[in-house]
Amino acid sequence: MGLSIHDLKKAFGGHTVLDGLSLEVGDGETVVVFGPSGTGKTLLLRLVAGAHEASGGRILVDGRDVTNENPEHRGVGMAFQNFALFPHMSAYDNIASGLSARTKDKAAIDARVQATARLLKIDHVLGHQPRELSNGQKQRTALARALVGEPKVLLLDDPLRNVDAKLRYEMRLELPNLLKRFGSASLYVTQDYREAMALGDRIAVLLDGRIAQLATPAEIYEAPATIAVARLFGDPTINLLDVEPHLNGAGLTVSIANTRVSLPGGYAAAAGRPAVLGLRPEDVVVDDRPQGAVAVPVEVVAVTPLNERAVVLMRTDDGRELFAAEPGEAISGRRHGPAFASFDPARALVFDRADGRRIAPTH
Amino acid sequence: MDHTSPAEKILRGALLTLVVLFFIFPIFWIFLMSFQTNETILRIPPSLAFEPTLSNYTALISGRLETQSGTLDIQFMRNLMNSVVLSASAVALALVLGVPAAYAFARFKFRLGENIAFTLLSFRFAPPLLVLLPLSLYFQEIGLADTYFGLVWVYQLIALPMILWIVRGYFEDVSPDIESAYRIAGHSWWRTFTRIAVPLAGPGIAAAGLLAFIFCWNNFVFALILASAAKQPVTVGSLAFVTASGIQYGQIAAAIVLSITPTLLLALYAQRWLVEGLSLGAVKG
Amino acid sequence: MDAPVALAIAGVDKLYARRGKPPVHAVKGLDMAVGRGEIVALLGSSGCGKTSTLRMIAGFEAVSKGTITLAGRRIDPLRPAARNVAMAFEGYSLYPPLTVAENIAFALKAARLPRAEVEAKVAAMAKLLEIEPILGRYPSSISGGQQQRASLARALVRKADLYLLDEPMGQLEPQLRAVLRARIKSLLIENGMTAIFVTHDQTEANALADRIAVMEGGALQQFASPAELKERPTNLFVATFIGEPPMNVVETRVVRDGGTLRFALPEGPALAYSEAELGAAVSDAVGRRERVVVGIRPHRLTIGAGPLAGRILSSQWLGDETHVAAEVAGRMLVGVVGGRLAARPGETVSVGLPAASLHLFDPDGGAALAHGGRAAAGPSRNGIAA
Repeated sequence: MGLSIHDLKKAFGGHTVLDGLSLEVGDGETVVVFGPSGTGKTLLLRLVAGAHEASGGRILVDGRDVTNENPEHRGVGMAFQNFALFPHMSAYDNIASGLSARTKDKAAIDARVQATARLLKIDHVLGHQPRELSNGQKQRTALARALVGEPKVLLLDDPLRNVDAKLRYEMRLELPNLLKRFGSASLYVTQDYREAMALGDRIAVLLDGRIAQLATPAEIYEAPATIAVARLFGDPTINLLDVEPHLNGAGLTVSIANTRVSLPGGYAAAAGRPAVLGLRPEDVVVDDRPQGAVAVPVEVVAVTPLNERAVVLMRTDDGRELFAAEPGEAISGRRHGPAFASFDPARALVFDRADGRRIAPTH
Repeated sequence: MDHTSPAEKILRGALLTLVVLFFIFPIFWIFLMSFQTNETILRIPPSLAFEPTLSNYTALISGRLETQSGTLDIQFMRNLMNSVVLSASAVALALVLGVPAAYAFARFKFRLGENIAFTLLSFRFAPPLLVLLPLSLYFQEIGLADTYFGLVWVYQLIALPMILWIVRGYFEDVSPDIESAYRIAGHSWWRTFTRIAVPLAGPGIAAAGLLAFIFCWNNFVFALILASAAKQPVTVGSLAFVTASGIQYGQIAAAIVLSITPTLLLALYAQRWLVEGLSLGAVKG
Repeated sequence: MDAPVALAIAGVDKLYARRGKPPVHAVKGLDMAVGRGEIVALLGSSGCGKTSTLRMIAGFEAVSKGTITLAGRRIDPLRPAARNVAMAFEGYSLYPPLTVAENIAFALKAARLPRAEVEAKVAAMAKLLEIEPILGRYPSSISGGQQQRASLARALVRKADLYLLDEPMGQLEPQLRAVLRARIKSLLIENGMTAIFVTHDQTEANALADRIAVMEGGALQQFASPAELKERPTNLFVATFIGEPPMNVVETRVVRDGGTLRFALPEGPALAYSEAELGAAVSDAVGRRERVVVGIRPHRLTIGAGPLAGRILSSQWLGDETHVAAEVAGRMLVGVVGGRLAARPGETVSVGLPAASLHLFDPDGGAALAHGGRAAAGPSRNGIAA
C-alpha cells in the first residue's frame, strides 16, 4: 500500500485544523483532496511530507511508519502550488536536486534528469534559470523535480492553479497518463471540482477538518454523502428545495408549490422528517409544456450564459428559485414568462434536513 | 507617478545637488588638504590653487615625520593593519555566530524568542562608555587587555546585533516552501541551510557584513580604552598627529584619506552587487 | 452603439523604460470606445497590457502617447484624484488604521454626504457583498477574500464617472464568485454604472461583460460581445484563447476537386465538403490558398458520427458532460458530449466536423477567413465599429 494515513490530527495552539483523517492510497492510484479554501488540504500534504509535525495519528509510506521522520527520510516527492523552484540554480539543477541527495553518480543522475525532462517536454530549457521560464515551464520543472526520484508517494499541491487556462486544460488531459506511468501513490489537492473529477481515481472531500466523503467521482456526483458535498460538485450548483415528505400509500410524495412529486420506492425512511430535495440543473427541462413524469409550473425570470450553456433562473408559484442548465442553442428560444420545469424523480436526491445527510433509497 | 511639472523637476535637482555638495564637500576638502603642506593649509585666505606635494603620504608610509621639534616615529601603517585585522576578525566572528542565529530567529518560533532578539539589539542602543570602565578592569584581571582577542570580542557588541537584525529579515524573505522543497528532495537540514538559505540570503549577509565592517572600523572608544599603542586602529592612531609642536594637518588629512579609502571602496564595490538584488523568479511571478 | 460614449481611448501607447535595455512596449496603439453604462472586460494572459491600460485610465501611469477622454474631457494629463474615477485594486489597498466600515465610507464622507445617508449606503453595499459581519473589523484581521470584497465595496459605493476593477474576485472561491457576480452585475446595470474590469478568467468576463477587449502582447486583438468573440473570432489567437476547452485547430492542405473542397489532415484523411455545404462565400474566402488552418470548438465536434475515425486517448466525465480526447489522423482533438460516453479509452469512435461549425484561418498571420457558413469580415482588429 503506497500511502496510509491513520487518524491524523493537527492542531495549532488550541485550534484543531485536522480532526482524525484516515486515508489509503494504493500504488499508481490518484486520490484527489478536494474542498474549499482553508479546510486544511495543503496542511494535509505538508504533514505527509514532513514539513509540519502531526499532533496525532500515523503516516505510513510504502508500509514504513514515517510519522516521526524528517522530510528527507520519507521518500516522497512534492510539487508546490507556487512552484518553489530554487532561484539560484538552473532548471537542470533544480530537477537533479531530487536525486543528488541519494547518489553521486553524475551519469545516472543525468540520464534520469534528461528522461524526466523529455517526458515533461522541458528538455530544451534545462539550462535556463527559473526567472527565464514561463509559468507553464516552471510548473513542469517543479513536477519534474518531484517525479525524478520516482517516489513511492507523490504530493501535488494544486499545481495547475497558477498556470493559464489553456495550459491548465492541456495538463489536465496529460497528467493522468503521466501519473500512471510513474506508478506512485498520488495525493492531488485542488479547489476545482472539474479537475477533481477528471484526475481522481477517488476523491476525498475535506470539510471542517474531516473527510466528508471518500469515493469515486461517479459516486460523489450521483450519491453525495451530504448536502455540503452535493453543493461543491456541479456548476451551476445543485437545486436544493425544502420539502416535507408524506407517506402516500406505497410510496412517498413531496410537494413543490402544489405539484405532487412521487418519489421512487425505497425512501420510506424519509417519511415524517423534514427533508431537502436535490435536483441537478442539467436534469431539469424547461419547456412551454410539461415534459415528463413531473412538471412544475414556473415563471422564467432570467436566462444567462455560462460558457457553452444557458442557465435558466425560474421561480415557482411559492416563490422558490430553481435553476436549469440547457445546451447553448436554447438560449435564443427561451423567453421570460410562464413555463414548466420537468424532471424525472428518479434523478432527484433526498437529504435529511436536520443533519444534511443523504437518505439512500433502500431496495 | 509621472505628473511632476518642469518646475518641480528643477527644484528637485537643485535640492539634490545641494545635499550632495553638503556631504561630499568635507571629504573633497580633506582630499585637497592631504596634498598640501601645513603652511599651505594654514594660509589665510585659503585658496584652491596650490602646489601638490606627496610629503604627507611619504611621511605616513615611511613612518617618519619631520617637524620643527625633530623627527617623530609614526605608527600609522601599523594602525592601518590593526584596523584591518580587528574589523575583519570582528565581522568574521559576528558572521559565524550571527548568521545561524538570524536563521533561528527567522524560522523557529520559540518562547522568549523576540525578547532575546530585542535584548541583543539593545546593545546597539547602550552608550559604550557605560560598560567601558568596568570592562577595562575585568579585561586586566583576565589578561585580555591590549589583546586582539579581547578587542574582537568587545567589537561583537557592535557587529553582532547588526548582523542579526539585517540577516534575519533576509532569511524571512526566503520562502519556507523553497527550503521544504529541498528537504523533501532528500537533503538534511544542514545542507538546506548551506546550499539554499545562505546563498539566497547572500546579498543581505554581504550588506550586513559590510555595514558591520564599517562600524567596527569607525569605532574609537573601545580601542582607546582597551588597547595600547601597538594594537590601536587608525581611529585612535590619528591622535598622534596632535603633537607638541602643533597639529599636523597635512598628515591628518592624508591619514584620513588613507583610512577611509578601504571602507569607501568596499561600499562602492558592494553597492552594485546589492542593488542587483535577488531575483525570486523561482516563485510564481 | 446608441449609448453616448463615456470613455474614449485614442492611439494610446505605453512604454516602460529599462536601464541599458530597449523599453518594454506594454501597450501598442490602443483605440477603444466604451459607451455610458456599458460593462467592459479587459481579458488576456499576464503581461498582455491589460493592467497597464487600466492604470493609465486611472492615472497611476502616464500615457506615452495618445489621449484618454472621459465624459467629454481629456483626463490623461490629470492627477488620479481629479479624474472622478473609482478603482478597486487587485492588492486590496485598504487603509489599515480604519475599520472596514470606515474604509468604505471614506470617499462618501469626503464628499460631505449626510451621516445617515453614508451609513445607509455602506450597509447596503456590505449586504450585497456579504461583508456585514466584518464591518467593525480592521483590515489586518480579516481574510484575503474579505479584504478584496471590502475594497470592491469601497470603490462601488462612490459616485464616479467610471469604475475600474482590477481582478475584482481573484481571491474568492468559485461558489462565492458566482453569487457575487450576479449581484454586482445587477448593481451596475440598475445604476447605469460604466465599468471596466481586468481579468484573466473567461467565465467572469463572459458573465459580466457586455463587450470584451481581448489583449495580447500589448495589442488589442478584438473588442466585441462574448457571443461574437466565440462565434466570429477575428484571428487564431482569439479563437484559441476564448473557450474552455480551447478550440481545436489543425493546419491542413487545401485540395480542390470540382465542386468539393478538401482539407487534408497531416496524416492522411481529408475533410471533404461540397460547395453547397460550405457556401460560396466560404469557398471564395479560402481563395487560391494551399494551406488553411481549420478550427472547431470541442462542443461542436461530433463524437459518434462523422467521416473520420478517432482513437480515444482519454475520457473525463465531469458530471454533466464528458470531455473526450481522441487521436484523429495523428492529431489530438478534444470533444465534449453531454452526459456520459459509452466508449472507453483505446476504442475507436467516428468523429465529424460539421460545416456549419467550421472556422477557417489563414496560416500566415492567423487572420480569420470564414466562420460557419459565412466569410469573416475584413481585418478590423480594433472592432470599434461593434
